[in-house]
Amino acid sequence: MPYFGSEETVKELKRALSNPNVQADRLRYKNYITRVIRYMTQGLDVSSLFMDMVKASATVDIVQKKLVYLYMCTYASDKPDLALLAINTLRKDCADPNPMVRGLALRNMCNFRMPGITEYIEQPIVAGLRDKASYVRRVAVMGCAKMHSLQPNIEIDASIVNELYALLRDPDPVVVVNCLRALEEILKDEGGVVINKPIAHHLLNRMKDLDSWGQSEVLTFLLRYRPRSDDELFDILSLLDAFLQSAHAHVAVATLRLFLHLATAHPAVQADALQHTSGALLTMCGSISRELRFAGLCHVQQVMRSQPGLFAPHYKRFFCAYSEPSYIKFRKMEILVELVNDENVTLVLEELRSYCTDVSPELAQAAIAAIGRIARTYSEKCLDILTGLLALKQEHITSAVIQTFRDLVWFCPQSTAAVCQTVEACVDCPQDSEAKQALLWLLGEHGEQISSAPYVLEVYIDGLKTELSSSVKMELLTAAVKMFLCRPAETQDMLGRLLHHCIEEESDMCVRDRALLYHRLLQQGVEQTRKVVMGPKSDPSMSVLTGHQQEPVSQWVSNFNTLGPLSAPDLCIQTPLISSPEQPSNNAEEELLPVSKDVSPSIPKDDQEELNLYLGPPLSHESFERTWLDLEVLHRETLSYTRPRTTPDTLQAALQLVKIQTLAFTPGDTLPWKAYLYTRGNRTLILAELLQEDPDSEGRLVVSVKQQPPNQHALRGFVSILSSVLQTLNVDS
Amino acid sequence: MSASAVFVLDLKGKVLICRNYKGDVDMSEIDHFFTLLMQQEEEGLICPVMSRGNVHFLWIKHNNLYLVAITNKNSNACLVYAFLYKLVEVFTEYFKELEEESIQDNFVVVYELLDELMDFGFPQTTDSKILQEYITQEGNKLEVAKTKVPTTVTNAVSWRSEGIKYKKNEVFIDVIESINVLVNANGSVMSSDIVGSVKLKTMLSGMPELRLGLNDRALFALTGRDKGKSVTMEDVKFHQCVRLSRFESDRTISFIPPDGESELMSYRINTHVKPLIWIESVIEKFSHSRVEIMVKAKGQFKKQSVANNVEVRVPVPSDADSPKFKTSTGHAKYVPEKNLVVWSIKSFPGGKEFLMRAHFGLPSVENAEAEGKPPITVKFEIPYFTVSGIQVRYMKIIEKSGYQALPWVRYITQSGDYQLRTNI
Repeated sequence: MPYFGSEETVKELKRALSNPNVQADRLRYKNYITRVIRYMTQGLDVSSLFMDMVKASATVDIVQKKLVYLYMCTYASDKPDLALLAINTLRKDCADPNPMVRGLALRNMCNFRMPGITEYIEQPIVAGLRDKASYVRRVAVMGCAKMHSLQPNIEIDASIVNELYALLRDPDPVVVVNCLRALEEILKDEGGVVINKPIAHHLLNRMKDLDSWGQSEVLTFLLRYRPRSDDELFDILSLLDAFLQSAHAHVAVATLRLFLHLATAHPAVQADALQHTSGALLTMCGSISRELRFAGLCHVQQVMRSQPGLFAPHYKRFFCAYSEPSYIKFRKMEILVELVNDENVTLVLEELRSYCTDVSPELAQAAIAAIGRIARTYSEKCLDILTGLLALKQEHITSAVIQTFRDLVWFCPQSTAAVCQTVEACVDCPQDSEAKQALLWLLGEHGEQISSAPYVLEVYIDGLKTELSSSVKMELLTAAVKMFLCRPAETQDMLGRLLHHCIEEESDMCVRDRALLYHRLLQQGVEQTRKVVMGPKSDPSMSVLTGHQQEPVSQWVSNFNTLGPLSAPDLCIQTPLISSPEQPSNNAEEELLPVSKDVSPSIPKDDQEELNLYLGPPLSHESFERTWLDLEVLHRETLSYTRPRTTPDTLQAALQLVKIQTLAFTPGDTLPWKAYLYTRGNRTLILAELLQEDPDSEGRLVVSVKQQPPNQHALRGFVSILSSVLQTLNVDS
Repeated sequence: MSASAVFVLDLKGKVLICRNYKGDVDMSEIDHFFTLLMQQEEEGLICPVMSRGNVHFLWIKHNNLYLVAITNKNSNACLVYAFLYKLVEVFTEYFKELEEESIQDNFVVVYELLDELMDFGFPQTTDSKILQEYITQEGNKLEVAKTKVPTTVTNAVSWRSEGIKYKKNEVFIDVIESINVLVNANGSVMSSDIVGSVKLKTMLSGMPELRLGLNDRALFALTGRDKGKSVTMEDVKFHQCVRLSRFESDRTISFIPPDGESELMSYRINTHVKPLIWIESVIEKFSHSRVEIMVKAKGQFKKQSVANNVEVRVPVPSDADSPKFKTSTGHAKYVPEKNLVVWSIKSFPGGKEFLMRAHFGLPSVENAEAEGKPPITVKFEIPYFTVSGIQVRYMKIIEKSGYQALPWVRYITQSGDYQLRTNI
């Protein structure tokens, strides 16, 4: 920071420092040195005083010494040649009878970050490692690491490494931990410090002498050790048991991590350790320090990935307090959502309900989204709350509720009727574009259930000129087309106006293209359009049922107790309303994609491309039958083996593995035995029949394949996949 | 762990003091800290970890200061926060109050401390009692014998120096239980727990061996053996000095105590306690004219006990004016800068019920800003009483010189995070 008259100040200081009268008066001299440091702290460049400051280091006043050393460390990299002059004083201090001075000088000498310093500090460091005062040894050990970091490319001095390994047996606990830290830095390229059996057990036995920082770090280093036998493993675990209850949260969490890591092969031990530490984690979540509380919550979330039920009895501890910052409240809400069960659902919802009216809109929206998540399991209760919130007529609340409704309908189709009823009653239109899109999507998707839908749409279409967001316009187009397909009479006129406006007057290319697309599509006829726009979707409600699988501990333990859980994007950055990657697509292009594989033959085909089978939307029995009867057999082959003698389940599972769906088959051993299969691949639908007429060896298995549209490449691929699966099954049985 | 550098910033983001421990992160990175913070604040998404490129900022706020550690490794976050709070603790013990002024007035000591607390990004000597033995605010000369390396730095018992002498040997034991309660607007207790701690103030010479005896009920609760009664303690923690193996085997708490003040043990009881002071409130807000507040406080503890220094803090709208109060006991005061009415009652006997009424005027022009719904909070202290029933049976003090020492015991139950939500 350039100060007015800063040069003057520096000059004046220089004069004063070199004045023999000042130098004679110790108090005055020290005062001037303090002033230099103060200016340095304030950002003034006082490097030109270097020579005078070096002189001042020859003093018996230890505070003055420290200040001068601090000054030298700060400017050493700017004035390497001058700093070399100071080295001699420092080296002399390294031989001082007072260990305090020795340590101080050595530490600061190692802090000079300038090239060529190593040759001067190496000898004092080596001497320091053998110093009788542990204070000096601590400094010297760290010095080894500093020396290495100054010249990272130079070959590692084996004698120093050996000396450091030997110092792991030092009586001073801090020296021991510093040795580990230093070795870790020095041997970084070789995978860090080696923890073998004697070292591991030595460290374990020293654990109780260490301070909490040391304990935490030793526990982290011990992660590297693998016990040879189960006996040894359990010995180690019992030694560590007490630290799970350490008074320092970070030690308890570090111990937990080590436990989880060591007991990978013993899930019961892991579960036990988690149970044991849950108390410590909960205390951390209630810690006075907000940051530790936050860290605690993040770790609780991680543990819940494997043991969702562990904290369920303590759900009340995750209720938010008024004064907590929002980052804590967000996490607590995420946890509450996970902890909901039949017993606590009423209380949790009541609590979340009270957050919905928070002054912070972000928080209110997150609370609403949280209720929406719970609604996937407890729809009725939540819908009541959400509907009640609409009555508040608060803009940000209405907006969040509508977005939540959209997600809910998508994930939980059985709630559609109730949601539609509510949307019907909700008269006031949301103002922000996110909510507008959500509302339009709901109107388009379920227009037949909302009687007023066309009139709401009309309001939007009439207000098109003032609409700024192009994503709202695109959503509007999609919604209008969908609406037209289910209620043509009411919508035709407004759709025409909308398309006309978007094609002729719209300036945004995306919107114009979208409108043109729909326009051309409609020219193909209503049925074609319906096929494209209202085609089958993926069914995300399945993932709600099957989702939330308990992950194995190993999934997350590697970054447990690091920065990871606090900033993991899947947890933290998660914006409140995007609760799952399978968001309903606001984008008609995406909706079109899976369907276009079936109907648009115009897409160029590449026969050489690899065959990727996929199941796609499920095919009903009726449509299978219809398609089967419509099509000709394209390929018939008699296989050289009989039908697999496995259970139907195995067959079904095996085929599912290669993405072939079994639709139906003859039960038991009745003959003729038939099975119907289907799959999709390379934009064709493949249907197949397996048939065996006679039980004896002549009766081979006959495969008949039909395809729509024909694609020889895919067909060949399919047959080869199918026959290899059947062959494997035959060999197995 | 490894923090590459530690900074102390003022509220405007100006660096007051910094220490570059490792030299592997550009010190100018800190310039981005404040911008990032402001950006997050605007988005309402403040987070105690911020990242820019591969540099991570871990920060805490204390009074008018930000303490920031930066690192470019995937450090142990809990450890870094614990260290930053340790910094606060040490500085506070040195300067009484840690704030911008005390940093500027004492920058020499701050530098000295930063130098001893951490080396090359690793915590070194962090015990403020030990630090105080060789870093003093007066500064010291080499001639003074004090500057020898304190024995504690090298001692086998790292929490106690040898050669401590007191004329009168005494030890004070405080058993303190804090009650945390959260009551929602319709009067049901949402959560409650007790955080207890046994604190020592040791003024004993030499290297004494202490043995603390607790009542059976407490001991059973501590170890979870007591299945019959509802009280079980969760998460019991002892100071480093307590021999855990001894406690595991025969339930004796034996230790060599740290000199001066320390926390011997802490525990948490997660049980449904009846809120000791129950508050019923009716707050009626008549827009554009007035707010009427009626608060009833009831002591739900034994008649023999008395709660001292009770303070009931009732939130009022920020635009309220012309306060009028009426209390059945104690006195009420309006604190406009905090938007609170503080009703203080010097002594509140168990089983009694008191009443306070307050009346505020509201301006006819409504405040445009939406306000939160702050809860009513209560502060109190009940001496000679613990909710959990923990009691100290005996304290044996054995020292090789054989002196007689006196133990003093005191019990206090106090309010912790004691909140009752309102529905205005």
